[in-house]
Formats: sequence, C-alpha cells, structure tokens
Amino acid sequence: MKLVTAVIKPFKLDDVKAALQAFGVHGMTVVEASGYGRQRGHTEVYRGAEYQIDLVPKVRVEVLCDDEDVDDLIGVILKAAQTGRIGDGKVWAVPVDSVVRVRTGERGPDAI
Amino acid sequence: MLGAEPGVALVAVGGYGRRELLPGSDLDVLLLHAGREGIASIADRIWYPVWDSGARLDHAVRTVPQARRVARADIKVALGLLTSRHVAGDPTLTTQLREGALEDWRAGARTRLAELRDLHNERARIFGELAFLLEPDLKEARGGLRDVHAIQAIAAAWVASAPGPRVRAAYESILDARHILHEITGRASDRLVLEEHDEVARAAGLLDGDALLRELAGAGRTVAYAVDHAFRQAERAAGRRLRRRKLERRPLADGVVEQDGEVVLARAADPVSDPVLILRAAAAAAQAGRPLAPRALARLADCPPLPVPWPPDARDALVSLLGAGHAAIGVWEALDQEGLVTALIPDWERVRNRPQRNPLHTFTVDRHLVEAAAYAAALTRDVARPDLLLLAALLHDLGKGWPGDHSVSGEVVARDVARRVGFSDADAELVAQAARHHLLLPMIATRRDLDDPVTVEQVARTVGGRSLLELLHALAAADGMATGPAAWNDWKAGLVSDLVKRVAAVLAGDPPAGARPLREDQLALANEGGPAAVIKGDEVTVVSPDRPGLLWRAAGVLASHRLTVRGANATFVGRTAVAVFNVVPEYGDPPDTALVASDLRRMLEGRLDVEERLERRARAARPRGAMVAPPKVTLVDDASLTATVVEVRAHDEPGLLWRVGRALGGCGLDLRSARVETLGAEAVDVFYVADESGKPLTDKTMRKATVEAVLGALTSL
Repeated sequence: MKLVTAVIKPFKLDDVKAALQAFGVHGMTVVEASGYGRQRGHTEVYRGAEYQIDLVPKVRVEVLCDDEDVDDLIGVILKAAQTGRIGDGKVWAVPVDSVVRVRTGERGPDAI
Repeated sequence: MLGAEPGVALVAVGGYGRRELLPGSDLDVLLLHAGREGIASIADRIWYPVWDSGARLDHAVRTVPQARRVARADIKVALGLLTSRHVAGDPTLTTQLREGALEDWRAGARTRLAELRDLHNERARIFGELAFLLEPDLKEARGGLRDVHAIQAIAAAWVASAPGPRVRAAYESILDARHILHEITGRASDRLVLEEHDEVARAAGLLDGDALLRELAGAGRTVAYAVDHAFRQAERAAGRRLRRRKLERRPLADGVVEQDGEVVLARAADPVSDPVLILRAAAAAAQAGRPLAPRALARLADCPPLPVPWPPDARDALVSLLGAGHAAIGVWEALDQEGLVTALIPDWERVRNRPQRNPLHTFTVDRHLVEAAAYAAALTRDVARPDLLLLAALLHDLGKGWPGDHSVSGEVVARDVARRVGFSDADAELVAQAARHHLLLPMIATRRDLDDPVTVEQVARTVGGRSLLELLHALAAADGMATGPAAWNDWKAGLVSDLVKRVAAVLAGDPPAGARPLREDQLALANEGGPAAVIKGDEVTVVSPDRPGLLWRAAGVLASHRLTVRGANATFVGRTAVAVFNVVPEYGDPPDTALVASDLRRMLEGRLDVEERLERRARAARPRGAMVAPPKVTLVDDASLTATVVEVRAHDEPGLLWRVGRALGGCGLDLRSARVETLGAEAVDVFYVADESGKPLTDKTMRKATVEAVLGALTSL
C-alpha cells in the first residue's frame, strides 16, 4: 500500500479531482497549503514598493492506493496538474504500514 | 395523601413549578417540613410510587431555613426556588419558603445578578446563539429558554420589568418547538438536530424546516435582545448604589443625548416632524459605542417615513452608522427589534431571519449583511468611496430573498435601494455592480490560472475600472470574514490579492478628484481680491490675497464655532486664494452668522489666535466609543505633473481639517488646491501640494516627513 501526495496549484484542484475519480480512486484528502520550490518565490512591485513573496498558495492532495497502481496514479495526477510553468508542484509516494477503515474495522488493502 | 397534615408541604420547583412539564422532563420537587419527626417515612411514601411509575424525580427534603441556606449558597437552587409552587400539604409553609427565597434573592441582588450574568456568558460561549445555529440547543443557547428565565429572575429582584408580550410570544414558540422535539424523539434532548427539522416544523403547523428555523431565529433574537437589556439594567442598578452623583447628559448630535451610558432623545427633539431622527440617533449611538435606550426607540417609532429618495443627511447618517463597525451591530439589532429597519428599507423584510443551509455560514442572511458592513468599516481606508463600500456590504446578499441566482437578483435590488437611499445614478450603478459581482474575485482566484493573461483580461473586462475593482476586493474580504472562519483565511486572501494586483495593472485608474470649479458669484468675489468672508446658508466662502495657511486657519475658525466641515474646496484665482466650505452645526442651533463672519475677517487680518481657541475646545471634546480603522495618508504621483497629491483618509473628528492643513503647512509645503469630503463619518481629503520651489515632491526624506507629520496630526486627536 502507498500514500501518494501531490502539491499542486490551487486552480488545478478540480481537474485533478475529476481525473482521479475517472481513474477510480475511492477517496482523497485535500488541504490548503503554502510552499515554494526551486524558484524560491518571486519579487513583486506594487505601488512603488518591492517585496519578496516566498510562500505561495498551493493545495495538497493525498490518496491511498495499492502498490501496483502507484505509477499509473502518479501519471494521472501529473497529466491533470501540469501547466508547464514554474510552480506546478511535486508528486511523491511513500509506503504505508497499515490502513484501517474506522466504521467497520477492515484492515489492509480492503480498507483502501 | 398529605391531606391536612400541618408542618409538611410538597413544593414543585424549577420547570415543574413553572407548569412546564415536557415529555422528557424530571419532576423537580422539594418536601418541606417544620422539623417534624418521621419526615423520612413520609418522604418514602411519596418517592417510591413516583420511582416505581418510571418518572424521573429530582428531590430534596428540607426545612424552610435549610432550603433558604442552600439557595443562598447555590444560585441554581435559588433560581429554582423563584418559581416554586405549592402542590400539596400545608400552604403556609410553601408561602414562607417563597417569601423567604424572594427576600434573600433581592437582598443579594448585586452579587446574584452578577453571577447570573457569568452563567449567561458561559452558556453563550459553550452553546452559541440560538438565532444563528443550524442545530441550536433550545434551552441553553443564547436567546433560548434559560435566558427568559434569567429575565424573570432579574425582574424578581425588582431591577427590570418582567418579560413583555414579544418576549412571552418568543418563549412560547421555543417551548412549543422543544415540546414537539421531545415527543418526536422520545428523548429529553434539547438540541434541534437537522434530521428533525422538517418533522418538528410540520407538527408545529409550519411549512418546512426553513420556516421553523426562521421563526426560531426571530424568537431567539428577541430573547437575546431582551436579556441584554435586562442585564444592562441590573448593572446600572448595581452601579447606582455605589456612585451617588448626578446623571450626566452629554449631547451627541442634533436632538440626541447620551445619559447614564445610554443614548436618549433630547427633550426638545420632535420625532413627528423629523424623519431623519431615527438614523441620526442610531449613527450617534453607534459612533459613541453606546446602546439606544428602549424609551428612545419607542419615541423614534413616531417618526414619519422618509421621503424617497432620502435627503442627503439621512444618507450620511446611514453611512455614518455603518462606518462605526461592530458597534453598529447592536444598534441595528435594536432598530430591527422595533421594526424600524424594514420601515427604512422595505426590501430587508425578505432576508430577515432567513437561515442559510450552508454549513459555511455562521449567521442568518440579515445578520450576515450587518456583519459584512461591520468588517467593511475597517477596510474603508482602502477604497476611494467608503460610503459605497459600506452600502454595498450591507446590500450584497439581498438577492437571497428572491429565487434564482442571488447575484443576479441582488443587482436589481441593490440598485433600487441605493437610489432610494439618495445616491446618484452613477453611484447606484457601482453598488449594483458590486452586488452582481461580489463573488467574482474569490471564485476566479481559487479556480483559475492567474498566470494566464486571458483570466486577468476577463476579470478586467467584467470589472471595467479600478473603482469597482477596489470595491470588490474590500467586499470579498468583508463578505468572507462575515461568513465564517472556513470561508476566509490568509490563504484565500493572498490569492485574491494576487488577482487584484494583476487586474489593477491592466486597468486604468481614476486620478484623485481635484478642486471643483468655482461659481460665478464666487469668481466675482475672488476677482475683487479680498480679504473677505461671506456666509450664505450652509456655505462659507473665504477669499484672501495669497496667504499661507488660509485653508486650515479658516477651518480652525469654523471648528471653534462648533461647525463641522462636510466639504471644502480650495483653489487659486490668479494670486488670490479662495476657500469654500460646506458646514453643518455639530448639534443644536447654528451659531450667529455675523459672529462667525467677523471672526473669519479677524483671522484674515491676522488678529485672531485660532490655535488657542481650539485647544480650549479640544479639552471639552467627547470621547468616541466605536473602534475605528487607523488613518491612512498616501502620496500619489501619477495624478499631476505640477504637484504631488496627498490623500488623507481618516475618521472624521471636529478640527480634523485644520490639524491636517497645519501639519502640511508646517512641512513648508505650498497648497495648490484641496478637495475635502465627508462621507458618513469618514473624511476623504485630497490636497495638491508642491515644495517651496513650486515643484512636486520628489525628495524621499521630504515625502516621508510629510506623511509622518500628517499621521502625527491625525493620531493626536
């Protein structure tokens, strides 16, 4: 079992959600986040004053999946979230030791 | 069973004493005795059959002195005894208890009522407000049943009157809903959960859950308003025993006076001939941060309806009321309880107490609008037209009273109301557009790619100009904050700011308005060369050969005569300086025109010390209760080639103009022209200044010093 996490641009959330649902995921968690990558934010000029923004608004999406689905899942997210411009974000997967469904107590892959 | 046994009585207390037994209630009883033998067995003979029947019993066995002692130590017991009722046995014993309990309650009123207030605040903190919750606790929430009991307890202490007909009707509504809820659920829970709304509504003879929530919201608000009033009376009664000084009366506005911490009408005020009095009193109360006294509200009900469109001072008073921020909410609630809001704005009726089914929303629609206006008051410094922002915030969701997309219907209603309130067609159009597009910025900012120029262009096209853009920006923040914590946070605010910046870069701005052109007669006066001062009605014209400080010195003279400057225009005709002021007396009768004119002439001749006069007045100034946003001073360069524009936005105060003018003069700046406007309680001043050599201010230190000097003058008020 794996946890796939994607940090994406906020306006891409609808596209990523639709793509994941079409792919067949059964659930996800979405959180508002802020962050930066190699671009390290950017400089803004407003009303004559310059200032640095380093944390930019993002959205974090998390999905649990079976091991064999990871690569496909990441591909789906990539395709939906990409704009080709700086700030598109990152996707990564980490192994998960155990998963339990709260309502029924089911464990393991049945709980995904 | 007790028959005519002397020395024993069965007494019902609490809810049972009130004769309000609900399906899930306990039987709350007290077995009173006069210290007789064998009382325990008598008690058992009563309790056991009750227990066996399955009813729940909350019981105690006490003598009258014991019962009184327990009540003195525990306020909840004391409250229960206030509603005690004789059930069986020796009635004289019950009477002894009742009278004793009431005596103790009145004797300890100061501490008991303070305790009662703490209990109320604690309940409000834990259970929230009945009127605004989707699943309120009908008993414990603020505005619920316990609050009515609190009013009765305060009345029992002879400090306030017993609940009036409106509160009693509200109580019956809530009690009925609670009763039905217990019957339907078969449990003693007082929380009106979502699943039960429709069934409870039908059993109560209402159409659906929404209608039920609407009625309960109205009832909850009536109770909350009444309990606040009762607690204020309790506080005042407690305070009066400590401080034995004469009642202070302090004038706030024409016909409006502050007395003993409340706002009342002056003795000479005549509501029947003064339709603007409602708004003027409300604005004065909100700005002073004080509540309107019920007797003032009763008198205000005699005001005739305002002519449509409203006269300018009514419009100003509304803007001033809204500009007071959160202090306006209590005042608005008071007006609403008396039905005065719907009398002023008939369209309000459709959103009164209207529930929002969306869990994001904390408030009913009408309260949400008032809260939005309150948050907008803190943002008035960021827009060129604070009056339009406040009105747009108040009206933006009025469309929710109509079917369909509330933004679309809202545009129509907002335009109508803005015109009714007396705004020009152009201004009403801005307010209407703000209502139409109030969701545009947050929606686009979170759902579209801001880097895509097409997104920015589309918004720019919809918005059309910077004035609407800045209105929408402030409105988005106010709307979000008034919705609830889930709807607005720094994350969203950041995205919206980003969008606004990008759109602003694409849109042209309007330069700050310069001085208005002079009329024929004013020009003629100017050409004579002066010095001269002419007063016609509410307009004061001052002319003088070029003399530094004409504007602020004249403003100072006016301020020393209790004249508030609502608008001013200063400009040059050749080498002659001309300043035209629109003034209004602060309160009461206007000062003697001849006196003001002669003072102005003396000032022009240099024979009057304005500052000294004003210092004396400043010492007698009235305190301001409402919290206001800090003043804002900005230097704008792109507006003119020959001068720098100094924009000042601040809360209007007596003497504001002369202080700012003096600060500018003190920086060695040359005033080319000025335009001053007071919108509600907000002063929007635009000064065109140049340095001593007649050029715009480019030196950074000088610019900084100017801003600091003006801010310093404003914050020392």
